[in-house]
Amino acid sequence: MIRSSALTLALSYVAVGIVSLILFAAPLWYAWRVTIAESRFEFLQADAQRLAEVYRHDGGSGLRSFMDARVGMQIVGERILLLTDASMRPLAGNLSAWPGNVPTADGNYDTEIAVAGHRNESALVHVANIGSYHLLVGRDNGLFKPLQTRFWYGLSAAFAVLTIAGVLIGLITRRALMTRVHSIRQTVSAIIHGDLKHRLPTQMNQDELNTLSRTINRMLDQIEHLVHGIRNVSNSIAHDLRTPLAELRSRLEQLALIRPPPEETFAEIDGALADVDRVIRIFDALLRLSEIDSGMRRSGFVLLDASDVAANAVEFYAPAAELKEIELRFSTAGPAIVSGDPVLLAQALSNLIDNAIKFAPKHGVIEVAVRRRENGAAVISVSDNGPGIAAAEKSKVVERFYRGDASRGTPGVGLGLSLVQAVAKLHGSVLELSDRTPGLCVALTIPADVLIDSAPPPAHAGAGEPGTAAGATLAPSP
Amino acid sequence: MKILLVEDNERVSQFVVKGLQEAGHTTDHAANGRDGMFLAASEPYDVIIMDRMLPGDIDGLAIIEVLRKTGKQTPILILSALSEVDDRIRGLRSGGDDYLTKPFAFGELLARIDALHRRSQGVDHGHPLAVGDLSLDPLTRKVTRGDRHIVLQPREFKLLEYLMRHAGQVVTRTMLLENVWDYHFDPQTNVVDVHISKLRQKIDAEFEKPLLRTVRNAGYSVTAGD
Repeated sequence: MIRSSALTLALSYVAVGIVSLILFAAPLWYAWRVTIAESRFEFLQADAQRLAEVYRHDGGSGLRSFMDARVGMQIVGERILLLTDASMRPLAGNLSAWPGNVPTADGNYDTEIAVAGHRNESALVHVANIGSYHLLVGRDNGLFKPLQTRFWYGLSAAFAVLTIAGVLIGLITRRALMTRVHSIRQTVSAIIHGDLKHRLPTQMNQDELNTLSRTINRMLDQIEHLVHGIRNVSNSIAHDLRTPLAELRSRLEQLALIRPPPEETFAEIDGALADVDRVIRIFDALLRLSEIDSGMRRSGFVLLDASDVAANAVEFYAPAAELKEIELRFSTAGPAIVSGDPVLLAQALSNLIDNAIKFAPKHGVIEVAVRRRENGAAVISVSDNGPGIAAAEKSKVVERFYRGDASRGTPGVGLGLSLVQAVAKLHGSVLELSDRTPGLCVALTIPADVLIDSAPPPAHAGAGEPGTAAGATLAPSP
Repeated sequence: MKILLVEDNERVSQFVVKGLQEAGHTTDHAANGRDGMFLAASEPYDVIIMDRMLPGDIDGLAIIEVLRKTGKQTPILILSALSEVDDRIRGLRSGGDDYLTKPFAFGELLARIDALHRRSQGVDHGHPLAVGDLSLDPLTRKVTRGDRHIVLQPREFKLLEYLMRHAGQVVTRTMLLENVWDYHFDPQTNVVDVHISKLRQKIDAEFEKPLLRTVRNAGYSVTAGD
């Protein structure tokens, strides 16, 4: 009926508590009983012995008067004494008759005896036969009754507290857990129904549920970001594809309607082809991006010289820069060997230089530089003295299809920096955009791979010499 | 030239076969891997155009691998859909000679077929090249037109060398990017055109007859004829 992990756990703890309480109390109880009973019997035996000595010394009448004196001095019931003759007639003591449930043979007995006034008290008795007399010495257990009762009360109270507290704690925990689980469930179902803005409630403390909730919230942040990105991208794709497709459609429609002379028709067909090529280029760029994002390209990583890649890109763009009367400078601090994808790095760099040429003013200056960090990473930077990027726009320019104000009216679909960003990510780095006055500096850091540490082995100097095993051993150091 | 087209898409194959015939090539068409394999193995073709994805149990790459194992050296151009861009390496590794993604411009296909065929004829890399009165010596790296010596930058030299090795053929911008700069991506700008116009400045500007021509919707061609 009540299926709750919290309650089940609490009840299990109660059960374990009760079992350990029993395991603790039982031996104690047993030891208490045995020890006390034994010592009391010894005491009674000693008593009986003393009476037997009195009999040996003073004879039967002496014993009787001694016992009478003892009974007279005692509080009734504390000590039980009885002396009878062979025919069980009471001669002395505080019992009126030999109790029926006590045998006359010598020994210790744990039994119930009715002492004058008190009925059926539990008692320990010792029976000894002195001459022809039967002697019974006993002590009732009344003295120990309260102790015993308290022991049982204590034990029962412990049981009760354990059970009630366990069940209560279980119920409270269950309630608290259910409340939190319920709120989590509500949030999650709201998210399932498409509202990604919801977050799980969290408190300041570090308990398990909170930690879990925080992790889930972080995951939700990421999902929201991605979904938002996908929505943006699909909107942008739709928008960017509409333009060339609309142009294409109107061109074809015109052709169908007007049926111009062949000369004009061919010109229109050329235009239509150019429109289609634009669409294909957008798809091409998008596929390339998703290919990079999926990390598939990492299989194409090789050791390459970042300086070399940059030099080639600069050389490739030099005539284009020259045409715009832009000075394209290149500086390097020697080879910078890193591991990466040469095609993608070349494409990223060419996008950066292409952008710079697009935005640099006439007679502007573009600087491409490659330098090495101390940790071996290569930093390729492309800076221009164009309009730069406003701080607010910096994080947006790498988004797919984003086109800043400055790029209105320039060709392109707004995927260039996204690709550079994706390439940077693939190479385990980020794109840094920084301001120059005026202009923009884009830096791409490619970390040195572990591969670099193992520099190519030195030439095998000892090859062929006697004494060196063929190929298998290292050349002896010079 | 005798060409085999292995392509399952009817529209694409009709378009390609028609275009190749118009360009003066004899073309056989196989619509599935089995027929393609049979024809490729039994007939002597100058170039095979192979679709990467084929219906049935034999795909394009499998056919290429079998052909190469059996010693067939016919140049093969692989066609594949845009979404399989990363397959380029696998395609080339399996024994293909060139790779073209769909959709493609027909001029690009023709130019690549010509280049493949030319390459398979065996090129003497050390031999001086000549087109009209323009000559280029790959060994001495000397370029002359008529009796005038022309000084070229290393990359300009490589560009001209590639164009002259394919003299009389159309060479597309993509082919130039791949072969001259080793750039296997589309820079999305007209940088190649700028390089060509610089080269043209050096080899054509001061001469009566232009040798480096622009072929509309296709690319460039170095030719001495009209």
